[in-house]
Amino acid sequence: MSERVYEILFIADPNLGEPEVEALGAQVQGFVEKEGGSIQKREMWGKKRLAYDVGRHREGYYVLIVASGPGALVKEVERRLRVTDGVFRFLTVRVDEELRKAERRKAKRTLAEEKRKSRPGAQAAREQEVQQ
Amino acid sequence: MSSQPMNDEPRGIGRPRGSGGGGGGRGGAGRGDAGGKEGGKRFFFRRRKVCKFCADKIDYVDYKDVKLISQFVPERGKILPRRMFGTCAEHQRKLTEAINRARHIALLPYAAD
Repeated sequence: MSERVYEILFIADPNLGEPEVEALGAQVQGFVEKEGGSIQKREMWGKKRLAYDVGRHREGYYVLIVASGPGALVKEVERRLRVTDGVFRFLTVRVDEELRKAERRKAKRTLAEEKRKSRPGAQAAREQEVQQ
Repeated sequence: MSSQPMNDEPRGIGRPRGSGGGGGGRGGAGRGDAGGKEGGKRFFFRRRKVCKFCADKIDYVDYKDVKLISQFVPERGKILPRRMFGTCAEHQRKLTEAINRARHIALLPYAAD
């Protein structure tokens, strides 16, 4: 079994400064690495307006971390996020399976397209159909 | 898309029955001709909706892609039934999942006032 890939998206307090949020991101990365996971990507989306009020917040810093690792990692990271000050909402999603499925479907489609193209007379038939 | 002139007429105009174009126009014909006025055609055609995700070949509906998802969420913030947007069952399921995720992380509203 290959490793699982997770997206960890969390919202940090907007009252924090940019460097503090940066530090928070690093902290969460630390959680992941301590559990035997590895970071694939980190995106700082910056301060965004929330679609609705969360507690007393109207906006927040969005930070996305894509990590791979064992399933137990999520449990621990989520637990830690829950007790981390400055983080008031988070979402962890496993994405590897879905992305793999999407990849497979894409491959299948391109294959089918090539087959259709290479079939002789296919183009002519389609043109005829349009003219009718 | 076929480019017969009749297809480009504004909606709601009653066409004489059996107007030119014959069968060929079936695919694109009757675009938005839901008005089916009296004396016009007996049937009215509704443009067949096509699943946007299928048409655009989107295999993975990403909850982070607010721009895409919000096209399928009305002002009020509700998830509308499939018949409104013509999404296929598979993609509607994925869309719903994505919307719910986006809601949790405050990218989309649960309910707007």
